Amino acid sequence: MYKELAVALGLGAVVALVFLKKRKRVLKAQDGWWGVGACPQGPEDDSIRPFKVETTSEEIEDLHHRLDQTRSFPSLEDSQFHYGFNSRYLEKVVSYWRNDFNWRKQVDKLNKYPHFKTRIEGIDIHYVHVKPKNLAEGTHAVPLMMVHGWPGSFYEFYGIIPLLTEPSSPDDITFEVICPSIPGYGFSEAPRKKGFDTVCAAHIFNKLMKRLGFNQYYVQGGDWGSVITTNMAQLDPKAVKGLHINFAPPGQAGLFVMLSILFGRRFPKLFGFTEHDVKRLFPTIEKLVVDTLRESGYMHIQSTKPDTVGRGLNDSPVGLASYILEKFSTWTDPEFKNLEDGGLERKYSLDDLLTNVMIYWTSRCIISSMRFYKETFGKGLNQPHAKLPVYVPTGVASFPNEVVHSPKLWVTQKYHKLKTYTPMARGGHFAAMEEPQLLAEDVQNFVKIVEKRKKK
Amino acid sequence: MYIELAVALGLGVVVALVFLKKRRKSVLKAHDGCWGVGACPQGPEDDSIRPFRVETTSEEIEDLHRRLDQTRSFPSLEDSQFNYGFNSKYLEKVVSYWRNDFNWRKQVDKLNKYPHFKTKIEGIDIHYIHVKPKSLAEGTRAVPLVIVHGWPGSFYEFYGMIPLLTEPSSPDDITFEIICPSIPGYGFSEAPHKKGFDSVCAAHIFNKLMKRLGFSQYYVQGGDWGSLITTNMAQLEPNAVKGLHINFAPPSKGGLLIMLSILFGRQFPKLFGFTEHDVKRLFPTMEKLVVDRIRETGYLHIQATKPDTAGRGLNDSPVGLAAYILEKFSTWTDPEFKIQKFGLCFSLDDLLTNVMIYWTSGSIISSMRFYKENFSKGLNQPHAKLPVYVPTGVASFPNELTHSPKSWVTPKYYKLKTYTPMARGGHFAAMEEPQLLAEDVQNFVKIVEKREKK
Repeated sequence: MYKELAVALGLGAVVALVFLKKRKRVLKAQDGWWGVGACPQGPEDDSIRPFKVETTSEEIEDLHHRLDQTRSFPSLEDSQFHYGFNSRYLEKVVSYWRNDFNWRKQVDKLNKYPHFKTRIEGIDIHYVHVKPKNLAEGTHAVPLMMVHGWPGSFYEFYGIIPLLTEPSSPDDITFEVICPSIPGYGFSEAPRKKGFDTVCAAHIFNKLMKRLGFNQYYVQGGDWGSVITTNMAQLDPKAVKGLHINFAPPGQAGLFVMLSILFGRRFPKLFGFTEHDVKRLFPTIEKLVVDTLRESGYMHIQSTKPDTVGRGLNDSPVGLASYILEKFSTWTDPEFKNLEDGGLERKYSLDDLLTNVMIYWTSRCIISSMRFYKETFGKGLNQPHAKLPVYVPTGVASFPNEVVHSPKLWVTQKYHKLKTYTPMARGGHFAAMEEPQLLAEDVQNFVKIVEKRKKK
Repeated sequence: MYIELAVALGLGVVVALVFLKKRRKSVLKAHDGCWGVGACPQGPEDDSIRPFRVETTSEEIEDLHRRLDQTRSFPSLEDSQFNYGFNSKYLEKVVSYWRNDFNWRKQVDKLNKYPHFKTKIEGIDIHYIHVKPKSLAEGTRAVPLVIVHGWPGSFYEFYGMIPLLTEPSSPDDITFEIICPSIPGYGFSEAPHKKGFDSVCAAHIFNKLMKRLGFSQYYVQGGDWGSLITTNMAQLEPNAVKGLHINFAPPSKGGLLIMLSILFGRQFPKLFGFTEHDVKRLFPTMEKLVVDRIRETGYLHIQATKPDTAGRGLNDSPVGLAAYILEKFSTWTDPEFKIQKFGLCFSLDDLLTNVMIYWTSGSIISSMRFYKENFSKGLNQPHAKLPVYVPTGVASFPNELTHSPKSWVTPKYYKLKTYTPMARGGHFAAMEEPQLLAEDVQNFVKIVEKREKK
């Protein structure tokens, strides 16, 4: 009798465990309402409207007027970019902006891909939707959503899009690419109510893909885009076929992360640390504390007083440019701080840099873009999405000059189905814009692996 | 034999200790700096003192009006008050007043009611006001007092308090002669052109200023950066600084004691001399000392790392500048202002006059650099480790940004004469409660002067 009882209990325990394990926890999100005032009754207008970026003479004259009346202030002698954006180089940028930069031409460039807007949860969501021009007979394009971050925009992807929608090699996958603007950024409307964090954005983007008719799709992102696409995978693991990110800060400093920080320098192989990992992480105080403190002032003030810090930037295009372009310098290569010109034009053209700034300027979105930091960090670091792992196949491209470096061990704590982890040859935080070829290759590589597994 | 040896050794040790203790009343050292453009000039500096008048022009006012007119507002989130920073609806009211009612010419006249001067020290022009008492009793002399402002304030913060000190109502009160300099890089003082200008450099320059004005002994008073600078002045020249009065005293020494009081102070307040108010301000620790601090120090973090970036837009946009500065006048006066309908206890005229000093001098960037120069050297600077041996008075205002109970002050200020829990007031005490602050300064100086007379 007891034997049978024991077997029954044992079986029961096994069944229960299997059943519980299957409860691979899914992140939940409620539908929000982000428009003005009370949430209206009845169904929402879900039409998809074509959108064109436009400009006017007034807009350009106003910009010129403000550029002309900027009040410069000399940098300290021999300070390069150590106190922030160097004033002498800023004058060169402003001079180019005023005299050579052609905004109408850049607007045409922006419009070379089709733009759309559609209303979700009370706000207009803007996105670019690029379908491949030539698809091989009998194939269909793999849908891929790419999400930008701060202080970037959908425009960061203009160099990588053709590499994905018109790949050179016949073995490569042909993608159809959707690049939305995060609500509060660029041409997406800003939420009017408090609380709009990365999970809310992810929920809206999943809805967008559904509205566009996709049941399954890939997602790719860096900076905020990395967190948002991660949340998309957590919210809808059945819809997100694969998640590719080029930015993977450790979500929760678990036991392994702690141990690897304490002992990783002496026993790198124990934690799978490469030479590059060791170089990026040690000495710990310098690399993980001092360097982080030096570069996170913007994050601190934006997470606490976004409306204050952004207000002046919404009046001063020069102030806005220095605030944004300082990041394009330092986050591309931290050594650029030692250069008088911040090294900006080594990796980017002024046209591309200023076009990104103009998206913030003409849409007046700098304040709402900053609020995203408060909405996400202001809730604390113990949010549900930060504690939940990711069960969707994941690929990580680890660029050597990324602002925060995560070795493979740290990544696997969060991403339980890590398919690829690629130490990239060169590049920093704005990888899509700086090294579109390298990033496209890694996305291709990752998606091919996931697609092959699916075919099995 | 051994007894004599032991006694000799013992005496020797005692003598050595006494000798070392006397010698090692370490005085802070400072070198003369060179803060002007390019190489340091040879030969003596022009040390003339030149009268200065604040001036304005129609162009300056029209330019301001144009920029106010072309500001691009952005609505605050619904029901967010001041929790995301300066509320846009209230900002529009401020801008409207600034554009239509604020009279800058009238305020410039008000600024000029006290005499201003400039003099070159270590390569840069130092601005200050110098207010002598109008009526001095027969046979008395005015007591010299330097009052130093902070960020985002200016010498103008003291305009309400100065008459209470130079023309006190009671005959028992001390009559002061007041010097209020502008910190280099703030307002009408020239900004340093070279890296490294920290609070000790400012203190050294201010001590030189007093010497140049003919004072061999004087009192100093300060809040915010002024508190640190005047503390450094006392550390640099303990023979010249007769007394130090501060209304801001963030803990910099006494780590162990502070740690213990944080761990056990809630349960055993009397052990650490904690009053009810101390307990209210310090506990629960996580909330009061960590979360609140993090919430209010974003500006400090970005200014201590990227001041040129943070300030550039504010030098083009008077509205942005006003929002940035006035947010502090709100939150640091009463943290509850954050979540209530906006209400300030200062007049818009006074608030905007202070903003205009930053605007017309174009000094917001250099004012922010002071944070980087001070904090980026780390928290282990010589002046932070040295105590203060000069008689000190502390006025502890209830809504001050960081609260230091008396037991946190004494590890740094060894000759604490007064520690006064004040009835009301916040960070900008001189502007908000000039009467209360003046009374405490009077009280402190009287005590030091009496002891001197003994």
